Parts: sequence; C-alpha cells; structure tokens
Amino acid sequence: MPMEQKRQLISCKRVNKSFQVPEGTHQVIRDFNLEAQENEFICLFGPGQCGKTTIINLIAGFELPDEGNILVGGELVTEPGPERGVVFQNITLFPWLTVMGNVEYGLKMAGVPKQERREQAQKYIDLVGLQGFENTFPVKLSGGMRQRVGIARAYCIEPKVMLMDEPFGALDAQTRYLMQEELQRIWQSEKRTVIFVTNNIEEAIYLADRIIVLSNCPATVKKEYVIDLPRPRKYTAPEFLALRKEITDIVDKTL
Amino acid sequence: MKKKQRTIMEPICAVISIFAFLCLWHLGVKGELGRLMPGPVPVIWMFLETMFGGTIGSRTMIVHILYSLIRVMAGYLLGAAAGVILGLAMGWNRLVEAVFSPLFRIIRPIPPIAWIPISIIWIGLGEDAKIFLIFLASFCNVTLNAWSGAKNVDKDYILAAQMLGARKSSLLFTIVLPASVPSVFAGLQVALSSCWATVLAAEMVRSSEGLGWIIIAGMNNNDMVQIMTGILAIGLVGMLLSMIFRKVETRLCRWNKSDS
Repeated sequence: MPMEQKRQLISCKRVNKSFQVPEGTHQVIRDFNLEAQENEFICLFGPGQCGKTTIINLIAGFELPDEGNILVGGELVTEPGPERGVVFQNITLFPWLTVMGNVEYGLKMAGVPKQERREQAQKYIDLVGLQGFENTFPVKLSGGMRQRVGIARAYCIEPKVMLMDEPFGALDAQTRYLMQEELQRIWQSEKRTVIFVTNNIEEAIYLADRIIVLSNCPATVKKEYVIDLPRPRKYTAPEFLALRKEITDIVDKTL
Repeated sequence: MKKKQRTIMEPICAVISIFAFLCLWHLGVKGELGRLMPGPVPVIWMFLETMFGGTIGSRTMIVHILYSLIRVMAGYLLGAAAGVILGLAMGWNRLVEAVFSPLFRIIRPIPPIAWIPISIIWIGLGEDAKIFLIFLASFCNVTLNAWSGAKNVDKDYILAAQMLGARKSSLLFTIVLPASVPSVFAGLQVALSSCWATVLAAEMVRSSEGLGWIIIAGMNNNDMVQIMTGILAIGLVGMLLSMIFRKVETRLCRWNKSDS
C-alpha cells in the first residue's frame, strides 16, 4: 500500500461569485480553485478590495457561490458550522459575555456540560496567553487582546479549518508583529488547516506554508508560492527579503 | 486628582443651587405674588409634617406616595413584560412584525391619558382602570425600543454565533436578547417617566388617595400649600425613581461601558 499523502481538507472548484450593485452585476470571484491539505497554513494575498473576504465568507458558508462548489472534509458547504472556525477582521466578540463566556460559547451551543467546557475553554485561554482575564468583558481589553479572544473562541470548538480574515488588520504595527509570532506559536502547538487572508506580504511570508496570490477584482488565482523557509522565520533574512521582492513585483504589475 | 476635585465640586454646587433657588422663591413671594403662591417654608414644613404623622385627607404623605408607586409599578412591570415579549418577537420574526406593526403604529402615538374616558366606561373607577392606563404608557415605549433593538442586532454577531454552532432557537436567547438589552433599557427609562406622569393624571381624574389626588384636592379646597407640597413630592419621588433605575442599568449593562 503506498504511503498515504496528507489528507485533502478543502477543495474549491471553479467558484464564481457576483453581487448585484446599482450599476449592474459586479463579479468578485472568477474561476477560483483551491486545494488545501490537512494542517496546511495557506495565505491568500492580494490587493485591497480584491474579494479575499468573499472567499472566506464562501468557505465559512456565510454566502453561497453562484457556480462551482466548495467541499470541506468531503462535504458540500451550504451553511455556517462549527467545523469551520472564523476569526473576523472586526473581531466581533459578544460584548455582553466575558472572555470565558465568549470562548466557551461554541461548546455551550454543542451541549457540552459546564465543568468540561470550562476546562476546555481554559486550555485555549491559556494558549492565547489570557489567563487572569477570564471574567473581563471585551470592552476592557485592548485590540490585540480582543483578537486573542477571537482566536481562542474559534479554536475552542476544535474546527477542522480555521478561516482568518485579516485578523490583525485593525491592529497597530507593533501589536501586529507580536500577534503574528503568537499565531505561529499557537498554530505550531495546535495544528489546524488555516486559510489566512492578508494584504501584508511580510505577514504572509512569515506565516504561510503556501501563499496564493490573487489578482485584482474579480479575484482569481494568479500565482502560488510554496514557502519552505524554516520556522520561526526572520523578517530580515536574505531569503525572506528575496521572496518579498519577487511577490511584490508581480503584484505591482497587476495594479 | 481631577476626578477627586469633581466629586467634591458636584455636591457643593448642588447644595448651593438648591439653596439659591429656595432663597429666590422665598423672596419672590414676599410681595403681591404671595397671595397666590406660598413660600418654600410652609411647603417644606407641610411635606415633612405629613410625612411623619400629620395627614392630608385621611392619610399620611408616605401612604399617598405608596399608593401612587404601587399603581405605577403594577402597570409598569406588566407593560414592560408584555412590551419586551412583543418587541423582541417583532424584531425577530418578519411575520409577527408584519401583523403587529401597523396596529402598533396607530396605537403608539395616542397618549395614555386619551384612554381615560374609555377606561372608565370599560373598567370602572377602581384600581384596574388606573393600572390599565399605566400599562399602556409602559407597553408602548418598551415595545418600540425592544423592537428596534432586536431588529438592529449587528448581523456579524449572528454570523459569529452560527459559525460557533448556534441554532436558530438559541440565537434568540443567546444573541438577540442580550444584544437588545441597552435598547430595551432606554425604553424602560422613558416608560418609567411616562408611567409616573400617567398615574398622576389618572389620580387627578378619579381617586381618593395618591399624589395626583393631593394636587386636585388642594385645588378644590383652594389650598395652595397642599398643591405645592404635592408637586414637591412628585418631583422628589420621580428623581428617586430615576436614580434607582440608573443604578440597576449600570449593573445590568456594565459590559456596555468602558468606564466604571
């Protein structure tokens, strides 16, 4: 029996998506294909409003494709569900729940008994480094801490896939570097398949196993890069800078 | 430091402004006006005297206040409960909204006191009629705010909850209800002052106790001191009600405020 390859977890086939706008039909995604293996960290990288968020929304099941289909773990995506954890760009914590309340929400919905879900939520609160803030309301937390809660909340339902839509886009530069390191650490200790959307090339090279460069609207795959630099990566390493230049060049040409 | 200065400055200013007002009032009624308007001393004296021992009509001030408060609370709580249920249902379910919103839009602008004659004909002169009027005052305000609160729940909360595995039935209680709380509270606050106004009107029309009755009985007896005492009591109780209300609100909506 041949060595089994890593299991394929996500498959997007010939996905098209348009929105109706006052001027007519606006195609956001054209002929988009994506295959993701188990535990692979994929960055979708592209210019500003190129439809990256729409791809996340489609895989999350918040929206449905006009054409083509999206399979996660072999099942067709038709609605949102806990096997696909989403970390939102605007974070979207439930402000009326404490940190603990937010992180354990998914388990509560799944009917996990209180004692058990507290323990599991605590594990992920510890993992993102927020021990001591369990009973704090989100309004009292800084942006970086809120997004840690967002990550813990999505991790806590133990999804097969993590979808992250520019999760650090709203953070200041310093916090952003810190959170990139943190996310890498979290991902290395709790491996998941991650689709990470960003418009920051350094962030993509730092985090990704594979970068998918998207063209401007309508989004379609322009080029793929496999990043096999050893982790943790250094922003200033020559290989890092060379990759950065190469990817920036091809993106600049499309703008 | 700055905060400390403010906590000292505010009560001092409050005392000064109230004292200055009382002085002006006292001096203002010295002349001709004094025949139509009592000064602050007899009014405050009557208020304190009737509070502890003396009576207006056949009851002490505290009993009159309790009568008014119990009427308000009964109608207020009933109206609030009904309003929260109907409002959330309207915000949550399109069909409920389509059925109830046209009716509600017509009933809402009618001030509760417009129902006084019909409530007397339907229900009579007893407590039920007053509670019915207060119920209306509370119900309309609360429904309106609960409705708009539930309707304007941030769509992202719903998406996040669905992503975390919430079913439609759990969305109502775990997302829509808590997200509407600040809006519901705004409605409850408006409703409380509206109910307080309504109970006085209802008591002025027909009753033999309560703060509204004190005023109207004062007018019938040509007793200006009693009228002003009633008005003073209305103001003080209204102030206390809204202070208590704000305390409760700060407690229940503490997640909504970054300071405190």
